[in-house]
Amino acid sequence: MDARLLISASTCLLAGLVRPGQVMPAPAADAGRSIYLRGVLGSGAPLEGNRGAGMVTTGTDAACVNCHQRSGLGWVEGKLSIPPVAGEYLFHSRDARVADEPALPYVESLHGNRDPYTDATLARAIREGLDSEGRPLSYLMPRYLLGDEDMAALIGYLKTLSVHGVPGVTDTVLHFATIVTPDADPLKRRGMLDVLEQFFARKNQAPLKPTPRMQTSGRTQYSKSMYLANRHWQLHVWELKGPAASWRAQLDKHLAAEPVYAVLSGLAGSNWAPVHAFCEQNAIPCLFPNVEVPVVAERDFYPLYFSKGVLLEAELIARTLLGSDNHPTMGVVEQIYRAGDSGEAAAAALAAELKQHGVAVHATVLAAGGQGHGVTAALRKALPHKDARGRALVLWLRPADIAALGGVPAGASTVYLSGLMGGLEKAPLPAGWRAHTLMTCPFDIPAKRGVRLDYPLGWFMSRHIQMVSEQVQTDTFLACSLVADVLNRMADNFARPYLIEQLQDLLEHRIITGYYPRLALASNQRFASKGGYLVRFRAPDGNALVAQGDWIVP
Amino acid sequence: MPRFHPRLHLAALSSLALVVLGASGGFANSAEDELSEPSAAGVPIKSIRKYAAPAVRLVRDDGKSVSLPDEMDDGRPIVLNFIFTTCGSICPLMSSVFAKFERRLGADASKVHLMSISVDPEQDTPARLRQYARKFHAGLGWQHYTGTVAASITAQQAFDVYRGAKMSHSAVTLMRAAPGKPWLRIEGFVTPDDLVREYRELLAAR
Repeated sequence: MDARLLISASTCLLAGLVRPGQVMPAPAADAGRSIYLRGVLGSGAPLEGNRGAGMVTTGTDAACVNCHQRSGLGWVEGKLSIPPVAGEYLFHSRDARVADEPALPYVESLHGNRDPYTDATLARAIREGLDSEGRPLSYLMPRYLLGDEDMAALIGYLKTLSVHGVPGVTDTVLHFATIVTPDADPLKRRGMLDVLEQFFARKNQAPLKPTPRMQTSGRTQYSKSMYLANRHWQLHVWELKGPAASWRAQLDKHLAAEPVYAVLSGLAGSNWAPVHAFCEQNAIPCLFPNVEVPVVAERDFYPLYFSKGVLLEAELIARTLLGSDNHPTMGVVEQIYRAGDSGEAAAAALAAELKQHGVAVHATVLAAGGQGHGVTAALRKALPHKDARGRALVLWLRPADIAALGGVPAGASTVYLSGLMGGLEKAPLPAGWRAHTLMTCPFDIPAKRGVRLDYPLGWFMSRHIQMVSEQVQTDTFLACSLVADVLNRMADNFARPYLIEQLQDLLEHRIITGYYPRLALASNQRFASKGGYLVRFRAPDGNALVAQGDWIVP
Repeated sequence: MPRFHPRLHLAALSSLALVVLGASGGFANSAEDELSEPSAAGVPIKSIRKYAAPAVRLVRDDGKSVSLPDEMDDGRPIVLNFIFTTCGSICPLMSSVFAKFERRLGADASKVHLMSISVDPEQDTPARLRQYARKFHAGLGWQHYTGTVAASITAQQAFDVYRGAKMSHSAVTLMRAAPGKPWLRIEGFVTPDDLVREYRELLAAR
């Protein structure tokens, strides 16, 4: 679609049809979608709405999606209840006993006390702000200037917003996939799958008996949806193979064979981008995978992450090196990472940020794969002089490489170490390095994790899950329990965008947040935890970490 | 829990009789339970409250760490709201009301301090707040504030707008004529004209 838009736009620009400042026009079929999601009319001109008294709203700000949400199922925000505008809810009969209409799943914000809309009364609502019975709508709802063609396109789009026929959802089964890339750590893979398999087994423990449909007696839109569904959760493990360029075709093949409702958790090495793109383009929620290098695209909708991973660590280091007033505290920064590992992307992000502030950044790259090899030579190369004052060293290394660091190079000043890659409190940092080294910790510090972590750890113990990577396994458990919670809350309304919207709202209310002090999301936010600590080892031996300063949100 | 101080309220009412009795249409007063014709924005609820700015440090949109009481007590009247930059519905509306309020005051805009405190401070970094302010063409007298989650919550609690999560927030506008004076609290949507009128009446009663 994007490519098509681009072509039509460039054609129009060439023909001189688009005035500067206008957004590219959408093809007719997409016009309704473009009005709803982007506030762009069929002509390419911005949508305009008016609340009276000079309160005009245009373009993206005027787009329906801001209030009525991607799902079209509305929103409850404080005292405000923004009604659903998905066609099924607008046109649904007041009386659920009308035979030929499917059951309408519950949404909190339905304003049911009105006649069903017709195309004509809906157009009046959008243009004049009167509901199906002629009563004024809320002040929040602008009165939109829409021509007949745009209006028809918009109403056509609203009719496509459906809560029925969601892939991967049957009357008895909910299908989930988890995705593992070939370069993922095999130990972490086993740990993650253990948690997922146990969680699904537990979820399916209750004996599944067919439950009778229950009819309520009242004349409400919901009468037919009042039945208990007892759905079995089914996990499909999609193991990708070969080079990244071939993953997309494999994913498409998996999806065709096993249509899933959502991708739950997952594990990557240094590359998750093909999976991210696959989920976004297929409108599949991709929920909280174990990914060190996520895709930063906050305008995408379907992929959600716990944090920016090593990219967050790069931001934490940049913030510290640049000081709060953005004045560099270091003249030169030397980075060491292994080719093809997650540190490559992190080092590139840090270098880009520092160079903007006039800091010289050099990189020493270790050969791919050779665990522990070449580390001391790389150190000699990075810090050739005895006097390293004004130089910072940033290490994006795995435990095997950290263990091979050897003696501290003479004159090394501040050293920064990626905690996510290095193993946090378990990082085998040689004693001599500990006093010089600040480690990034994009989580809460161990001493403060407390009950947020005790709960998952207790759950693992009672289910005899072997701990191989506490953080990956806790994140996996957290992802599963968030999805279980949100599905309860959605009360049989499985629209995929609604899942994302409800998660955005639910997250802030969670108590059990595992490694993270706090999780929160909103529209246009894709990373639930936004900060981290810089920590030091308390002593030359042992695992105790102390925070160097407060929680930093870069 | 809304905090209501009957004694203060009566005192404030007598000194602000003009505001309450003269409030021309558009407002229901929470004390009098008096409903009048709604303005374009519906029926906001007004009340007079005593709030004390808590001694927290916030980060202003220029990146500077500031004390909230100091920001509030520089002598200028204050118009205050609470927003977050990724909010799609209420906040852009409240912010565009602030923008129009500033423009309608004209030369008087330099005499008032508009303050918008983020209820999503970890997302709303100073850079994001500056970007948001630019979008609304915020003038020199309008600052946005962020800080730690704890500081933002303390500020929200002090002005009785904390509702447990950013998504539960509602449209509240607060204004105060001068340091030491009580606050006028307006719950619900106001139009820029409503706000200008309220502001001028509050100053007249000072």
